[in-house]
Amino acid sequence: MDLTLSPDDIKFRDEVRAFLKDAVPPDMRRAQALTTGFASEPEVALGFHKALVKKGWSVSSWPKEYGGTGWTPVQAYIFETECARAGAPVYNGAGQRMVGPVILKYGTEEQKKKYLPGIISGDDHWAQGYSEPGSGSDLASLKTRAVSDGDDYIVNGQKIWTTFGHKSNRMFALVRTSTEGKKQDGISFLLLEMNTPGITVRPIHGNGGDHEFNEVFFDNVRVPKSGRIGEENKGWEVAKYLLEFERGGALQAGRVRAQFTKLAKAVQARCPDDPDILHRLAALGTDLDAMEMIDISVLSALQSGANPGPVSSLLKLRWSQLRQDISELAVDAIGADALKFVPERPLFESLQLPEDEEETLTQTPRYLNYRAYTILGGTSEIQTGILAKAMLGL
Amino acid sequence: MLRETAERFLADKYDYRAFRKSVDSDIGYAPDMWSAFAEMGWLGLPFAEDDGGMGGGAVEIAILMECFGKALVIEPYLASVVLGGGLVAALGTPEQKQELLAPLIEGRLKLAFAHEDRTPTTAAARGGDYLLSGSKATVLSAPVADRILVSAALPSGANGVFVVPADAAGLVLKPYRSVDGNRLADIELADVTVPGDALLGSGGDATASIQGVIDRAIAAISSDAVGATAAMVKQTVEYTRTRVQFGQPLSKFQVLAHRMVHMRVAEEEARASCLLATLSLDGKPAQRTRAVSGAKAKIGRNARFVAQNAIQTHGAIGTTEELPLGAYAKRLMAYEIMFGSTREHLRRYGALIADPALAGAGLLLEPSV
Repeated sequence: MDLTLSPDDIKFRDEVRAFLKDAVPPDMRRAQALTTGFASEPEVALGFHKALVKKGWSVSSWPKEYGGTGWTPVQAYIFETECARAGAPVYNGAGQRMVGPVILKYGTEEQKKKYLPGIISGDDHWAQGYSEPGSGSDLASLKTRAVSDGDDYIVNGQKIWTTFGHKSNRMFALVRTSTEGKKQDGISFLLLEMNTPGITVRPIHGNGGDHEFNEVFFDNVRVPKSGRIGEENKGWEVAKYLLEFERGGALQAGRVRAQFTKLAKAVQARCPDDPDILHRLAALGTDLDAMEMIDISVLSALQSGANPGPVSSLLKLRWSQLRQDISELAVDAIGADALKFVPERPLFESLQLPEDEEETLTQTPRYLNYRAYTILGGTSEIQTGILAKAMLGL
Repeated sequence: MLRETAERFLADKYDYRAFRKSVDSDIGYAPDMWSAFAEMGWLGLPFAEDDGGMGGGAVEIAILMECFGKALVIEPYLASVVLGGGLVAALGTPEQKQELLAPLIEGRLKLAFAHEDRTPTTAAARGGDYLLSGSKATVLSAPVADRILVSAALPSGANGVFVVPADAAGLVLKPYRSVDGNRLADIELADVTVPGDALLGSGGDATASIQGVIDRAIAAISSDAVGATAAMVKQTVEYTRTRVQFGQPLSKFQVLAHRMVHMRVAEEEARASCLLATLSLDGKPAQRTRAVSGAKAKIGRNARFVAQNAIQTHGAIGTTEELPLGAYAKRLMAYEIMFGSTREHLRRYGALIADPALAGAGLLLEPSV
């Protein structure tokens, strides 16, 4: 292994930088910098997505014949890192990184024709219908029922923690199609339209003041069976495949590095002589370097939709912790300013202050929202349980 | 290939009893083992083929040192080959390399490096000779070395490194044992006279080379620590599979399974940090320092976490010398302290990343122009 970039990689990096210079104008960059939730507002992200479409980079990690770029793992890493450094929006995660790879692997030709173009173009926003009020960590106990009725299912039940459910036009959902046998064996993976009659979306506001999560209620919702991915009652395998992408599929080093860099600058500006803060900052830096090195080591497994496997649980476990640690130190570094709280969202509309003051006001909401990092996508406890099996054979 | 050979050899020849026997002997290592290392080619591993070595790089040293850490190898490899030989290779004239590296590689000569000053060490010129005076602390493997490399301030103010016979007049060793069984010494030098050609190289400032060799030694000993950490994790998991309490193996208790995952993850992070340091040794000084000090701090922290939890998970037996576990814990404790403590390296790392450009720089490097 060699850490030195090749001349071709440098050329590619410069091409990415040139692209980002135009694709991320200052107002977009500011909107992303003032995002305190997990993803950018879809309307902010869409502008960036459209620029990616024009460049042919909107579904970069997919196989080439489906619109992917054929980038090497190193190129993908460079792209993510440069996007983070440029402050580009976090775009279309559920489409490109979650349901997209699932449709590519398990979908029929017809399903690919129907769903992939909207993901590539960015016109479709996908919501994830996994968790339910009674099924969090024990996801396979889910109860939302899909009963066969000719060519359709009639869906009844409730999903929760649906990220941007209020701004999505499509959903991929896990539904119960059988109550026989093992709970995992009665689940199907279903794609549906959010404007179908009988669907109601109710907002859930996070502690940090952001509205990203929702409850979604299904009251006799008629969904065509043609939207089912894979066989009936075989959805659990599909669900797990997707979860590995959710947990480890995205290269996180660039984003967390950008978060850390902002923290380092804030510490320089606010408390450059505080030994406790400096000690913690340095320790976090070494944590980040170690994780980035692990990321680089597993890059090749992530190439072109390859399943990252159990290491994704390690990445999820540690990256989520690291994001929390950075947000925690960021709050500690700003002292009494952490008391100030602006409830209106989005902040890029409600604030009109000098850049550093605006940045300071993001820290408390971010700290509060980021508590969810070690819960969403499978809690740290669940990841640890998976790793006990996968890494230790327990 | 190197890994398989080393693992097989050490599994065969170097068990816990062999380690204890070496540690408890007068000299603190096994001469026949040292000869065997020479035969395996390990004593020449990092040196150029022109100098009689194997032409290996940092990665090969890392592989071997990780195996040494796993097997609790106590022979003076780090001091003699990585530090001593490394300095000769970096600074020496062709004649000096010929004179020192050939016997080192054959196992006939052992070196140590006396660097950390207790009091300033100076070299005064007298005629064609130098007079060395001062005192040195924590000189690893000095009691077993045939020659001691001594850093000293030259009359010009630059730093130089001198090759001093261990029995030179005026050189006094105060030997002691380290917590992990190594032999060390503090050294006093009172007008130790050495000839002009005892100075490695031709009189230029050796400071950068010394730092480079020390960084290599830190990367090497970090690999050793990763090996020891991995061994502790593995032995803890195995122990909990066989130890039955409350009618079931300890490994079935979730609280212990989760603890062991955290230990295993800490090992994996330590390994990644170490790899970063190893791969950065030939990079620009700031990148190298960042990677090496970062690794020393990170691995030191993770090693302590693993060692403490390994002992706790073993219960009372983990606190004794009955099992190899204690030897690993002590080896990792020594690691944390040697070549600058976790705290010192964290400070060194912190000072570097105070520069936002470095804090924001990813790990992939631009080619040096």
